[in-house]
Amino acid sequence: MSPVFDNIDQFVDGFLTSLEIILWALAGALPLGVLIAACRVSPIPPLRAFGTFWVTTFRNTPLTVVLFFCAFGFPELGINRSFFFFGVLGLVLYTSAFVCEAVRSGINSVPAGQAEAARSIGLNFTQGLRYVVLPQALRTVVPPLGSVLIAMMKNSAVVGAFGVGGDLWSTGASLTSAQGYPTFPVYVGGVAVGYLIITLTAGALLQLLERKVAIAR
Amino acid sequence: MTSRPNGEPLVRLSGVDKWFGELHVLQDIDLSIDRGEVVVVIGPSGSGKSTLCRAINRLEPIDKGEITIDGARLPDEGKELARLRADVGMVFQSFNLFAHKTVLENVALGPVKVRKKSKAEAEGRARELLERVGVASQADKYPAQLSGGQQQRVAIARALAMEPKVMLFDEPTSALDPEMINEVLDVMVGLAKDGMTMVVVTHEMGFARRAANRVVFMDGGRIVETAEPETFFTSPQSDRAKDFLSKILTH
Amino acid sequence: MQFRRTALVAALSVVALTAAACGDDAEDSAAEPTVAEAPEFEAGTTMAEIAEAGTLRVGTKFDQPGFGLENLEGEVEGFDVEVAKIIAGALGIAPEDIEWVQTPSSVREDVIEGDEVDMVVATYTINDKRKERISFAGPYYEAGQQIMVASDNDEIDGPESLKENPDAKVCSVTGSTPAEQIKQYLASPDQLTLFDEYSQCADSLRNGQVDAVTTDNVILLGFVSESDGAFKLVGEQFTQEPYGIGITKGDVAFCEFINDTLQENEDAYIEAWESTAGEVEGTETPELPEPAPCA
Ligand SMILES: Nc1ncnc2c1ncn2[C@@H]1O[C@H](COP(=O)(O)OP(=O)(O)OP(=O)(O)O)[C@@H](O)[C@H]1O
Ligand SMILES: [Mg+2]
Repeated sequence: MSPVFDNIDQFVDGFLTSLEIILWALAGALPLGVLIAACRVSPIPPLRAFGTFWVTTFRNTPLTVVLFFCAFGFPELGINRSFFFFGVLGLVLYTSAFVCEAVRSGINSVPAGQAEAARSIGLNFTQGLRYVVLPQALRTVVPPLGSVLIAMMKNSAVVGAFGVGGDLWSTGASLTSAQGYPTFPVYVGGVAVGYLIITLTAGALLQLLERKVAIAR
Repeated sequence: MTSRPNGEPLVRLSGVDKWFGELHVLQDIDLSIDRGEVVVVIGPSGSGKSTLCRAINRLEPIDKGEITIDGARLPDEGKELARLRADVGMVFQSFNLFAHKTVLENVALGPVKVRKKSKAEAEGRARELLERVGVASQADKYPAQLSGGQQQRVAIARALAMEPKVMLFDEPTSALDPEMINEVLDVMVGLAKDGMTMVVVTHEMGFARRAANRVVFMDGGRIVETAEPETFFTSPQSDRAKDFLSKILTH
Repeated sequence: MQFRRTALVAALSVVALTAAACGDDAEDSAAEPTVAEAPEFEAGTTMAEIAEAGTLRVGTKFDQPGFGLENLEGEVEGFDVEVAKIIAGALGIAPEDIEWVQTPSSVREDVIEGDEVDMVVATYTINDKRKERISFAGPYYEAGQQIMVASDNDEIDGPESLKENPDAKVCSVTGSTPAEQIKQYLASPDQLTLFDEYSQCADSLRNGQVDAVTTDNVILLGFVSESDGAFKLVGEQFTQEPYGIGITKGDVAFCEFINDTLQENEDAYIEAWESTAGEVEGTETPELPEPAPCA
């Protein structure tokens, strides 16, 4: 374990960078995914087509390809932003497709009569979704959405390889290959523990949330 | 509401056709409903009664013809349609109360979000309506904690809260246990007495006799016969109506 | 992308011409190293074991132009590969009996410790940290870190200019020695951009995401020559990167055998360089460095 304690400051830095990537991606992917889900169930055919296109594109493209497009495609088109921005953007685009599908499955689990009743009292589509359907979808959405978000947290390790660096995974890579520390303790004792702290905390929070939305019936 | 002369029908369907794929569920429907009139729609299963109801507030789009409410043609989608729907109350067979909201919230939601009333005003009015349908004591419960009859009365209060010009009822009592049917029908009779314009799909002949001005008999997507309730039940004209009545009367 | 394709065509024609000039030996531009006939080794040594096994397992890179690169036929070629063939020859092992194991930077110690290979020849910089886990024979080449920038950049003329231009970004590869080395020249760690491959650094330099790329001179020279004038090297080599051959820690006999073999085959060594990395324009043929004492 000493490779970890010897370099604890680097691991803390890596942990914070990973956490930063994850929090930004969360802030982007959640609202975007809900928005795309709203498109997919909307009564307006072009919006539905757009939602389907979005999900098909990003759900069926490997994350590394999406990240590659962001990190190299945008600059090639003359759009230069930091690699951190591009990395988070790629993770947001990719994850939003999965968030959308989790939310959509939740929406579909709400009986159609609820949306009809909402419409019959004069709520428009967005209001019906917001005040009637989504709050009820939440209950069934939390578990699958939790899996999507935890997968996203682990996927954040890939972002580091696209010019971001300094995250947990890259810290591990730098300690093992440049500074010659043995791979096993660094990855198991440092990198894996770092990700576990994040994902287990997220898992616990999700469980709390699940319990909360289950009671509020 | 006072903008139109009294002679003008409140709801008018003219030449309405609707298909579900190959199935011609509404065939050349012409129907006018006057202000304050109560129309009972009756007919065998699958004859298109629900579809007719749902077409009137455009939960189902129609393929041909025209439907107007208070002189205004039903718009296709969007804000206009939402506004028009707010003027048409609907009560469903399966209640469809918002499961995550209390009884009071169910009734106040529309007035706050659609009519832009203050929460306090909407809730005050909601309590009055709940009082009127006899479930005031249940205001803070969730729908699942209520009996079917209570839920349906809340649903009526929810529709009333929008101050609709016309109310549509699609078999409002057929999901209820027998002992609860009357508590709902009584509320509806009260509404009719107060002058509400109503379209009611129901097989409850008692209600038709007590409250309806007219009975419309549908079969195979067509309006086959229209008559005053007493006339229709005692001496129906068409063979199909006779056949149908003989079946429900033996039950 | 157009200029890249032109550069590629040019490079291919050079290879074709070189191959043609070699006449009979056209199928391989590098001269085949001599393979010793049944050499004798003291029993129990690594050399005896390898000679006995009849095969040499060599860890090398498969993605490093000029040093270890897998070609379209699936064969690896480059300076490291040729150096390994010289040592194999002295052990009585023909090039076709060498087992090539792809060994990226991050697993080089692990494959030696795990006895997955007999030696690692993979642009492997000798340093003390690594010596705690493995031993090095050699050095067999002195590389040095340098800076590559876009040709029209006159702000950055060496590592020192990075501190003076705190907005400048420099790119290197995750976990590489050059990435660690450059840190002391930076005003803030944010100036360093890391990728898995140098080609991604080169692409980012081309599209303006970074201002400089740093690593060993040899690697940079490859990019400069392919860039059709878009890139240039600036400043002196600011590190000494002696490349060694990684072997099991403490195997002094094998280390000395490798060092002796290289010393005895200086001509083959020069030939190895000139047929591989030495083909890149602007490189100088190195002299075989003095071997470090084995430990
Ligand atoms: N969404 C739909 N898609 C396809 N067919 C439908 C749909 N809704 C109803 N139908 C069909 O249209 C016909 C008329 O249905 P509708 O529900 O209007 O009949 P109904 O008179 O209300 O019958 P019931 O007394 O059983 O409620 C039926 O044959 C029904 O199967
Ligand atoms: Mg029906």
